[in-house]
Amino acid sequence: MSAAAPTPEYILKLDSVVKSFGDFTAIKGVSLTIPGKMIFGLLGPNGSGKTTMLRMITGLISPTSGVVTLMGGLNPFSTEAKSQIGYMPQNLAVYQNLSVVENLQFFGRIYGMEEKPLKERIDEVLEIIELADRRNETLANLSGGMVRRALLGTALVHRPKLLLLDEPTAGVDPVLRIKIWDTLRKLCGEGTGILITTHHISEAYRCDRVVFIRAGSIIADGPPAQLISKYGGRDLEEAFVVATHGEESAAL
Amino acid sequence: MRSIWVAARVIREISRDRRTLAFFFLAPIIIMTLVYYAIKDDQIAKIGVVTRGAARFFEMEFLNTLENDKDVRIVNLSISDEETDPQTLNRMIRKELAAGRVDGVLYMSEQMLNERFAGNEGTLHLYVEGSKPIVTSAVFGAIADAMDELAASLPVVIDSSCSSLCAESVNNKPMELKKHYLYGDDDYRTVDFFLPVLPAFFVFFFTFILSTITFQRERLRGTLERLLVAPVGFYQVIAGYVMGFFIFASLQSIIVVVYILKLIQFQFTWRQTMAFAVVILLTMLVALNLGLLASFLAHNEFQALQFIPLVILPQIFLADIIWDINGFPMFFQIISKLFPLTHANAAARDIMIRGNPLSNSWMELLILAGFIAIVFTVMSLVAHKKDKSI
Repeated sequence: MSAAAPTPEYILKLDSVVKSFGDFTAIKGVSLTIPGKMIFGLLGPNGSGKTTMLRMITGLISPTSGVVTLMGGLNPFSTEAKSQIGYMPQNLAVYQNLSVVENLQFFGRIYGMEEKPLKERIDEVLEIIELADRRNETLANLSGGMVRRALLGTALVHRPKLLLLDEPTAGVDPVLRIKIWDTLRKLCGEGTGILITTHHISEAYRCDRVVFIRAGSIIADGPPAQLISKYGGRDLEEAFVVATHGEESAAL
Repeated sequence: MRSIWVAARVIREISRDRRTLAFFFLAPIIIMTLVYYAIKDDQIAKIGVVTRGAARFFEMEFLNTLENDKDVRIVNLSISDEETDPQTLNRMIRKELAAGRVDGVLYMSEQMLNERFAGNEGTLHLYVEGSKPIVTSAVFGAIADAMDELAASLPVVIDSSCSSLCAESVNNKPMELKKHYLYGDDDYRTVDFFLPVLPAFFVFFFTFILSTITFQRERLRGTLERLLVAPVGFYQVIAGYVMGFFIFASLQSIIVVVYILKLIQFQFTWRQTMAFAVVILLTMLVALNLGLLASFLAHNEFQALQFIPLVILPQIFLADIIWDINGFPMFFQIISKLFPLTHANAAARDIMIRGNPLSNSWMELLILAGFIAIVFTVMSLVAHKKDKSI
């Protein structure tokens, strides 16, 4: 990565993306551009296609038709694109028998970081995820919340330009939830683009921009306040219900 | 009543997992079949008889006696009747044994009759292949029975100094049997036959289990997906796994091999040990790739666990570890060729018991390498299908 690289005009772009599995179409022609340096929320009920979209963005699967590009023009399958993405899955996908530092080291090395900058970066990340005092503890000995923080650490250790978080606060207590959001806001301030999938309305309030997705299609797109006024609800939850099910169901 | 609801739920859940059901009901049938064929018959010994000079007159009678023994199969040797030089015959008999066409060859020379006529015991020569103790003892058993009858039927010359009582005693005098071993000797034990194949078996067994379970965990926990999201190729992950396991499997091989060589108390050359290590290494690589394949085929840890007996048990019976595959019906003999351990064992015995160089087992090594290539390819295809298009 060269420091002189021009800032791309977007960090993520989906252009008429369709993804089918046999007869079932999970994503039905989604177009979307995320300019970067913002927290972008992908809000939708379970099975709406959020994870499928993430899997296409991370280059795990390719779209049936349409194009996904990253950082102003990179193919998600390219090494260059992959090295600029940080991915925090929903499950605790870290190595339980390794310590916090060993996990961070492993993911840093996998992303091709040099040893000296990695060492410095690990110290920074340990401060961010507030696990500096437990750095040598094996994950199996830590609480669920701490492991989740370590998971976040492994996703951002290589300074990704785009951070993808799949339901990052699912099953997390309110105190940790606030901490995670503070961290994300700080990272965003430093220039990282963040994409969050969630089915919690309360999460969506904290995003700069939210997309409502249902059955593989985008049904609303805009800042939370704008969506509330557009769909006439008292809050984002009602706006979401109106947008996804129509006004009658909101009245119920 | 609540227990019944629990039972109903258990029954329903298990009956929906077809693979588990098949395993549960079919596995015992398959294993019982294998046990049946493994211990059904006594070991069949392939025996050839070479007679020269006047001893030829007794060949038919001897063969008839042998043929009545149901554990013996008479083999016609490709040794010319014209050949009478004892040295050449000795060489030709050994060649037949080395080629595996026959397990034992009885050689009756004219000399034997002359000795007998002179009132001595007379020496019969029995050549055995020797590397398979069970077969060797079957040969000894069959020959010993036939010899008693042969001794009684041989003519004796009675001169004036010999009474009829004396003639009787000469007739009943057992002949001397001189044993010639192609491999091993009288001290060679059954255990010496089994020990050389144990390292290959253990390395295969434990590498398979370790790789199946570890990789299954990597998949289920989601860390494999994270690696694939990172700028790491699928083959780099696999190569990493191979290298990681290699360290442990190598250490295990060294421990097992060193320990077994101590147990056998044979003298092994460095060359033999290194050749043996090559066989073990290839075996480990087959097991590793099979383990990865099993972990991709399994939907959960329970199914992954089922692969262990499925892959290991048939090989215990059919891979020439304890039971000679020649005692099984042709169908199983063909199946046995599809098992990597069959070939690993053949190579291990050739190197350790027969002392042949590694190059002698080139076919077995090639087959093992072929196994690695095929299993790796299938594993890659299955992995791509499972993890790239869900």
